[in-house]
Amino acid sequence: MISIRLISTLCIISLTMLAGCSDQKKKEVTSTLNWYVFNEPSGAFATAARNCSENSRNTYQIKLVPLPVDPDQQREQLVRRLAAGDQSIDIIGMDVIWTAEFAQAGWILPWRSEMKKEALAGRLSAPLQSVMYQDEMWGVPYTTNAQLLWYRTDRIKEAPATWDEMIHLAETLGESGIIQAQGERYEGLTAFFISLLATAGGSVLDTRHEKISLAQQPTLQALSTMARFANSSAADRTLSTTREDQARLAFETGHSSFMVNYTFVWSSIQQNAPGIAPHIGWARWPSLSKDKPGRTAIGGINLAVSAHSRYAQSAFQAAVCIASEQHQRIAATLGGLPPTIAALYDDTRIRETFPFADVLRATLRDAVQRPQTPLYNDVSLAISRTLHPMRNIEPDKDYIRLRDAISRALSSKGLL
Amino acid sequence: MPRRNEQPKQRQRRHNEWYQAWLLCAPAVLVLILITAYPILYAIWLSFFQYDLRFPDQRTFIGLDNYISILTSEVWWQAFGNTFILTVSSVTLELMVAFPLALIMYHTVLWRYAVRTATLLPYAITTIIAAFAWKFAFDPTTGFINALSGMEQAWLTQSWSSFLVIILTEIWKTTPFMALMLLAGLTLVPHELIQAARADGANAWQRFMKITLPLAKPAILVAVLFRMLDAFRIFDTVFILTRGAQGTETVSMVGYNTLIVSLNLGLGSAVSVLIFISMLIISALFIWGFNIKTGVDQK
Amino acid sequence: MKKSIVENVFWVMSNVLVIAYAVIPMLWIVSLSLKRGSDLNDQQFFPQTISFEHYRNIFSDMQFASAILNSIGIASIAALFSVLLGMLAAYAIVRLEFPGRRLMLIGILMTAMFPPVAIIGPLFDIWRITGLYDTWLGLILPYMTFTLPLAIWILAAFFREIPWDLEKAARIDGATTVQSFIRIMVPLAAPSVFTTAILVFIFAWNDFLFAISLTSTDNARTVPAAIAFFTGSSRFELPIGSIAAASVVVTVPVMIIVLFFQQRIIAGLTSGAIKG
Repeated sequence: MISIRLISTLCIISLTMLAGCSDQKKKEVTSTLNWYVFNEPSGAFATAARNCSENSRNTYQIKLVPLPVDPDQQREQLVRRLAAGDQSIDIIGMDVIWTAEFAQAGWILPWRSEMKKEALAGRLSAPLQSVMYQDEMWGVPYTTNAQLLWYRTDRIKEAPATWDEMIHLAETLGESGIIQAQGERYEGLTAFFISLLATAGGSVLDTRHEKISLAQQPTLQALSTMARFANSSAADRTLSTTREDQARLAFETGHSSFMVNYTFVWSSIQQNAPGIAPHIGWARWPSLSKDKPGRTAIGGINLAVSAHSRYAQSAFQAAVCIASEQHQRIAATLGGLPPTIAALYDDTRIRETFPFADVLRATLRDAVQRPQTPLYNDVSLAISRTLHPMRNIEPDKDYIRLRDAISRALSSKGLL
Repeated sequence: MPRRNEQPKQRQRRHNEWYQAWLLCAPAVLVLILITAYPILYAIWLSFFQYDLRFPDQRTFIGLDNYISILTSEVWWQAFGNTFILTVSSVTLELMVAFPLALIMYHTVLWRYAVRTATLLPYAITTIIAAFAWKFAFDPTTGFINALSGMEQAWLTQSWSSFLVIILTEIWKTTPFMALMLLAGLTLVPHELIQAARADGANAWQRFMKITLPLAKPAILVAVLFRMLDAFRIFDTVFILTRGAQGTETVSMVGYNTLIVSLNLGLGSAVSVLIFISMLIISALFIWGFNIKTGVDQK
Repeated sequence: MKKSIVENVFWVMSNVLVIAYAVIPMLWIVSLSLKRGSDLNDQQFFPQTISFEHYRNIFSDMQFASAILNSIGIASIAALFSVLLGMLAAYAIVRLEFPGRRLMLIGILMTAMFPPVAIIGPLFDIWRITGLYDTWLGLILPYMTFTLPLAIWILAAFFREIPWDLEKAARIDGATTVQSFIRIMVPLAAPSVFTTAILVFIFAWNDFLFAISLTSTDNARTVPAAIAFFTGSSRFELPIGSIAAASVVVTVPVMIIVLFFQQRIIAGLTSGAIKG
C-alpha cells in the first residue's frame, strides 16, 4: 500500500512539474470535482468555483452542476443518484434539512480532525447545529437563511410584535391589509408550522430527535393561530397556493402590507418595485406572546462530500474554500445569501447589502432547527399534507391527525 | 386434441413442430420473464419487508404490514379515487368524441390522407410534450386560453380546474387511438348491409344503432378495455401538469413518490403490487362482464 | 349515390374541425418556441417576431445533444431487439400449433398492459447493485417490457394476412420450417416488420417514467426526461422557451414518420386489436 501511494505521489509530483511546461499534461493531474447545487443566477457560486479551482494550483477543477431551484426536486434528483452509488457527485450543496437523512444512509462523509476545525471556525451556532447528526459533523456551513417580517412603514407606524396584533392591524387596514405568507402544500408550509410551534414553546420531536413530542398546549396554539390567520381578511385569497416567490411578487404589487419571507425579497423589491422600496420596514418574525420572541426555522445550504466521490480529499478542501469568508462575502453581496460566518455581520459591505443585518443575526440566534431525523422528508410531507389548506384547520381534530401522521412517518410506514 | 390413429411418422412431425415452435418462442419468452416476471416477483417479495434505502442496513420481514398501512391510509384511497375518476371520465368522454371522429374518417373521401395523418399526430406525440403544450396554453401569464376566453382563471391552482385540464389533455392525446379502433370496427360492417337498410328506408341514426353499432361492438369493447388499462396507469400527464398538487395525485404517482422520491422500496413495492392487482381486477371484470373474445383462440 | 352540396359542406367542415383539433396544440408549441424570450408572456397564439434564440440555447447545451443521442440509440436498439425476437415468436404463434400457445398469448397481452410503476422499484434496486443504473442497457431492457409484447402482437396480426401457399410449396420441396421462414417469410414479411419497428420505436421514444426513474446523467438520460428537468433561472419560472423548442425538435422525427407511414401505422395499430 505504502509503496503504491509513494509511487503515485511521485507520479503526481512529476506530472505536476511537467504540467508547467505543457497544457495537455495538466488535464491528467487535475481531478474534476462536480459540485451539485441549485442554479444560482447571480454567478456567486460560479465565481467561488472558479477562484477555488485557481487557488488549488490545478489539483482540482470544480465544475458546477446546476440542480432545479425547488429544494424538493433537488433532493429527488440527488438521493436517487446517491442511492445508486453515482461516483460523479463530489460536493453537494446540501439543504439544512437533509443532513440526518444523507448521513444515516451513508451517502456523505463525516468531517474530522483538521478539516472539521476549519469548517467550524467562526461559524454561527445555528448553521453549525444544522450540520450535526449523532455527534458527528457532516458538512461545512455555507449560507444560511431565516425569515423576517417585512412591512409597509407608510401604513404602519410600528411593527407588530405578535401574530394576533398583526392580524388585528391588517384587518383594520381594510383592502390593503393583506399578510403574505406561505400556504401551499410544500416544505414552506411545514416550515411555517414549525416556526409557530417553536414560538409557542413546542417542538415536533423530543430533544434526541427520535420520538414525537408535539406537546398539546403549544401545538394547539400554533394550529389555532394558523386557522385564525387563514380565515381572516388578512389572508390572501390565493394563500393555499402561495410559495415564497408568489408571496414576494404579490407584495411587490403594493397591495399587501405585511409579509413573512426570506431575505432575498429585499434586493428583489429594490429592483422590481422601486416605488415601494423606501417604505419597507423589517422586524423579527412575529411572536405569540409579548415576553417571548418569535422563532423561525433556519434555512440555507451546507457543503457535504459524497461518500462515493473518487477525490474525497480534494473535495473536502474545495468545500472549505467555497465556504470561506471571502466567498461567503461574494455569495452575500452578489447573490443575497446570508453568510454563516459571524464576523461578516459586522462587515461594512455586508451591512450595506443587508441593512437588516442585526435583526437577522438576532433571528438566527433564536432560530429553530427543523427535526433532525433521517425521516425528515416524510415528517415534512406528513405535516404539510395534514395542515393544507390552512383555512380548514380545526385545532382539536387536526392535533390528533397530525400526531397520527407524524408517528406513521417516523415508523417509516406512512404513505406520503 | 389427441389423434389416435395417426401414424408414428405424423406424430413425430407434430412433436417436431412443437419443438420448433418452442424454440422460436423461447428467446422472447425468456426475455419477458427476465424483465417483467422476475421484477414483479421481486416486487412482491420486497413488499413483505421493511426496506428503505435511507436505512440500508435495516431490512426486516414484516409480513402484511406494508399492505395494512397502505390500505388504511387516506393518501392511497384519495389517489385511488382520483385515478378512478380520471379513468372513467376520460374514457367515457373520449368515446363520445371518438365516434364522430371515426365516422368522419370513415366517410371522408376528399381529404382522407390529411385527416388520417392529422389524427395520428396527437397519438404519436410524446405524452409529456402534449402535457406541456396544454400546461402553457392554460397558464394565466403565458397561455392564450385565458386571453381568448376573457377568463381570469389560474387553472392549475384549484382542484376542479386541474382535473379538467388533466382530463382534457388525456382526451386530446388518446381519442385518435380510440377513433382508429372504432374506424377499424366500422370497416368490418359490410357495405351492402347499410345499403339494404337505406333502401328499406332506415334513416342514418337507425342504421347506426341497428346495424353499425352491434357489428362494431367487439372492436369497441376491446378499444375501451385497452384505454381503461392505459388510463389507469396515468402518470406522465399529471407529473407535468400538477405533480400531484391540488389533490390530483394518482396511484402511479404515489408509487413513484414512495419508490423513487422516498426510496422506501418495501412500502413502494406494496403500492406497485396493489396497482397491478387493481389492473388485473379491471380486466377480469371487463372480460367477464362483456364476454369479450380477445381472439386468443382464433388462429 | 350522389351527395348533396349540404352534405359535402358538412364533411369539409368536419374535416377542418378534425385537423384543427389535432394541430392546434402543436402549432402552439411551435409558435412558443419561435417567440422571443421577452414575448413569451404576451398571451398571443402566434409570435409577433420570429426568433430562433431558444433553438440556439438548447443546441448550445451539451446535455440536450447527448439526450437526443441517447433517445435515438436506446429507442432504436429496443425496437430492433423487440422486432427480432418478436418475429420468431409471432411466426410460431401464427403458423404452428403447439401446447402453451394460448398461455403465451395471454401472458403477452398481460405484459403489454403492465403498469410500469410496478417494476421501477425492483429494477432500481437491481440496477443500482448490478451497475445497470444510468446506462443504455438499463433502459433498453425495461423498454422491452412493452415493446416486445407489442411487437409480437402487431407482427402476429400482420403475419395472419400473408399468403401461406408459397411456404407450403417450399415445404413440399423439402425445406424445413426454419428454411421456409428465412427464404419465403422474411421477404414477404419485411414491410410488416418495418412498420412494427417504427411503431415500437415511437413507443420507446415517448417513454417517461422509466427514463426519469432509471437514469440520472447524460450517460443515458433521454429527451423526455431531459426536458422535464430543464432548470429554470428562478424557482417558479419554467424555462418555457427551451422546453417548447426541445419539444419541437423531438416531435419532428415522429411527425415525419407519421406523415410517410400513416397508412401502415394505422393498419398495424388496429389489426392487432381487431384480429388479435
